Amino acid sequence: MPLSAQPPGSAEPYLLTASLDNARHLSSLLRAVHFQDHATCFATVNGLRVTVEDAKCVQANAFIQAEIFQEFAVQEQTVTFRINLSVLLDCLTIFGTSSLPGTSTALRMCYRGYGYPLMLFLEEGGVVTVCKINTQEPEDLLDFDFCSTKVVNKIILQSEGLRKAFAELDMTSEVMQITMSPDKPYFRLSTFGNAGSAHLDYSKDSDLIEAFHCNQTQTNRYKISLLKPSTKALALSCKVSIRTDAQGFLSLQYMIRNEDGQICFVEYYCCPDENITEEMLRSSCVSLVFTCRDPTTAIWICEDG
Amino acid sequence: MKCVIGGAHLRVFGRAIHAIARISDEFWFDPLEKGLALRSVNSSRSAYAYVFFSSMFFQHYCWTALPQPRQKEKQLSPPCKVIIKSVLPVFRCVNVLERNVEKCSIYTNINDHHITFQLLCKHGVVKTYNLTFQECDPLQAVFAKHMCPNVLKVHSRLLADIVIHFPTSQEEVTLSVTPMKVCFKSYTEEDTDFSKTMLTEVQLNPDEFDYFQVGVDSEVTFCLKELRGLLAFSEATSVPVSIHFDISGKPVAFSIEDLVLEASFILATLSDIEKETTSQQPPSFTPWQESLETHTEKAGNASMDKDSSTQANASKKPQRNGKTPSAEPAKPASPLVKQERKVIPGATEGDTTGVEGTTTAHAALAGESHYEKFHSLFFGAVSCKEDAVSHTFHSLATASDSEEDFGNVPSSPVV
Repeated sequence: MPLSAQPPGSAEPYLLTASLDNARHLSSLLRAVHFQDHATCFATVNGLRVTVEDAKCVQANAFIQAEIFQEFAVQEQTVTFRINLSVLLDCLTIFGTSSLPGTSTALRMCYRGYGYPLMLFLEEGGVVTVCKINTQEPEDLLDFDFCSTKVVNKIILQSEGLRKAFAELDMTSEVMQITMSPDKPYFRLSTFGNAGSAHLDYSKDSDLIEAFHCNQTQTNRYKISLLKPSTKALALSCKVSIRTDAQGFLSLQYMIRNEDGQICFVEYYCCPDENITEEMLRSSCVSLVFTCRDPTTAIWICEDG
Repeated sequence: MKCVIGGAHLRVFGRAIHAIARISDEFWFDPLEKGLALRSVNSSRSAYAYVFFSSMFFQHYCWTALPQPRQKEKQLSPPCKVIIKSVLPVFRCVNVLERNVEKCSIYTNINDHHITFQLLCKHGVVKTYNLTFQECDPLQAVFAKHMCPNVLKVHSRLLADIVIHFPTSQEEVTLSVTPMKVCFKSYTEEDTDFSKTMLTEVQLNPDEFDYFQVGVDSEVTFCLKELRGLLAFSEATSVPVSIHFDISGKPVAFSIEDLVLEASFILATLSDIEKETTSQQPPSFTPWQESLETHTEKAGNASMDKDSSTQANASKKPQRNGKTPSAEPAKPASPLVKQERKVIPGATEGDTTGVEGTTTAHAALAGESHYEKFHSLFFGAVSCKEDAVSHTFHSLATASDSEEDFGNVPSSPVV
C-alpha cells in the first residue's frame, strides 16, 4: 500500500524519498554488511549505497539500485549521512523477520537533509509504524580504488563452492591466505590454526569456476576476523568475484538475487595483513594509497572485462 | 605411512573417528604393518576404544619402516597422538561425506610431525589438512574377552533401538542378564528423587540375540554416552555387535569384527562394594584416579591436584600385600549394596602379568618400581623406546610438567 509522497503542507522537499513494496529487499542486503553498528549511506540518482568499515582495513558496501525501488528520488547529486545500522535494521524488521509468502512490509523512507533524522514509514497488514532515526556527520571512508585496469587476478566462482569452506574456516587461525595463480594450485584458501594448516584448492577446470583470469602468482594473507563477516553476503549470493590488485588488496563482489529475481550487489574490500611471519612470507611489503573518487557507483565486472 | 580410503568406506572411517571422539579428546593413530589402529582412552581410564582397519579396508595401504641412516635397524613407524578436535573437522558431516568426497588420502610425515589428510572432493576441489601430532608410547588395553562367561551377540540395529529409548541425559545404564532374560535399565543413584525421574527398562528374550551365552547371572552398569558412538559406527558397518562381560565391577567389552575391520570399546563397570571395604581408601578417590596420579602426573586429568597424589600414595600402602577390597570374584552381585565408588574397572587379585591386574596392587607395584612401566588396570603398555617425547603440539587441556623421568610414559605436551 503506497503512502503519500510528502506530508501535506510541508514546504521543503525531502532530499531523499524512496518507496519499496517489500522492505526485505533492503533489510536482507543490509544484514549482509552488518558487522559494525554504524554505516554511512550515500544516495544518488543511481540508487542507495550503504558502507560499513572496520579498523580501516575492511569495507563492505551494499548497493541497491534505484530500479529496485518503486520510487526513488534525490534532490541533490549526493545525499550522505551516517546512521546506526543496528537500529535501522531493527526498524526495517519491526514486523518480524520471518518471511511468509504473500506478506511483506511496505517501506517509505524520507530524509529531509543535514541535521534531520531519517524517517521510515513501515506498513504491514494495515498496521503502520513510523520511525525516526537520528543521523550523524558522515565520516571519511577508505577508497580502495579498484578498477578493472588495476586488477591482477580475478576469479568468478559459484557461491555454493565457497559457502561450506567459509563456514568451516578454522577460526583458530589468525589469517586466511589466498593464493591465486596461473599455475597450480590455481586458487587456494589456507588457514594456519592451532592444530595445523588447512588448504582448500580449487582447480581452474572446476565446474564451480565460471571465469579464471590469473596473470600472476599472488599469495596474500588477510585477517580472518575481518573476512568472516563476508560469510553472510556469501550465504545470500549466487556468484562471487574475487579480485586482487598489485598491492594485494582484495575485492569480493557478491551477486545477490532478491525474492523478485532482481540483482543487487554487495562488495567487501580488505587490506592484506601486514604481520608477516617467517612461515608465510611470500610477497613484498604493502604500500597503501588512497585516492578520492565518486563513492556511489558500483560496477559489476563482467566475465570478459 | 600412506593410505587411501575410497568413497564408500569414508563414512565408516568418519563414524569411527566420531565414536572415538566420545571417549576422549585425543587418540593414538597407530599405523601397523597389517593395517591402521586407532586407540583412545578417557582421562579417568574407565573407557578404552580400539578400532583396527586392516590394509584391505583401504584402496591403497603402504606402511614402510623408515630407514634411518644412523641406526642399524629400521625404525618402526611409531604411533602418533593426535587431538581429536583437530581431526573432527576433516570428517564433519559424515553422512554427506560419501556424496561430496571421492577419496581421502592419509600420509604421515614422521620427521615433520605432521599427519596430512587430503580429501578429493567433487567439482575438482581438494581439501588438505596438515595436523601436528606428538610421538608417544603405544597404548594397549589388555582384556581377555574369551574369559568372559557372558557373551551376547546382537545386530547393531537392535541395540540402537534399545538405546534410543533412554534419554540423552541418561548417563549410565544397567545390563542385567539371567539365562532366561536380558534387561537394559536406566541406572540411578540411591539418593535420586524417584518422583522426578523417568526410569526406562527394556526387556529382551534370549531369542532376539544372534548368540546368547550366560555363564553367570550378572548386572553390569556402564556409561551409555561412550557406547552411543560405537553404535553409530557399527550401524555404518552393519556388523553385529558382541558384548562380552562378567560380573559387576569387571569391564564390559562391546566389539565388532568383520573381514576388514575390528573394533572394541571396553568400558568399566560399577562394582558392588560393601561399605566397610571402601574405608581403606579415601572416599573421594577411585583406584583409577590413584593409578592415573602415580603414572601420568596430571596428564589429561586436570581436576587432580598435587596434594591428592601424596594422599593416594599413602593410601596404597595397606593394599600392598593383600587383595584389594574389590578383588572378590566369588561375591554375588548385590544390587542394593550402597556403591561408594564410581566406575571402577573389574579387578581380580594377583595376576599382574596384565590380563586383569588389580588396581591398587598395580599401583603399589608401580610405585615401587618407580614408574618404569606404565600400568593401569587393564593397560599393559609395552614401551619399546626411550626417546624423549617431542613437544610439538599446543594443547588446551593438559598440564605440562612432570618432574620424574617419564621417558616411557606418554607425557603431556608443552604449551
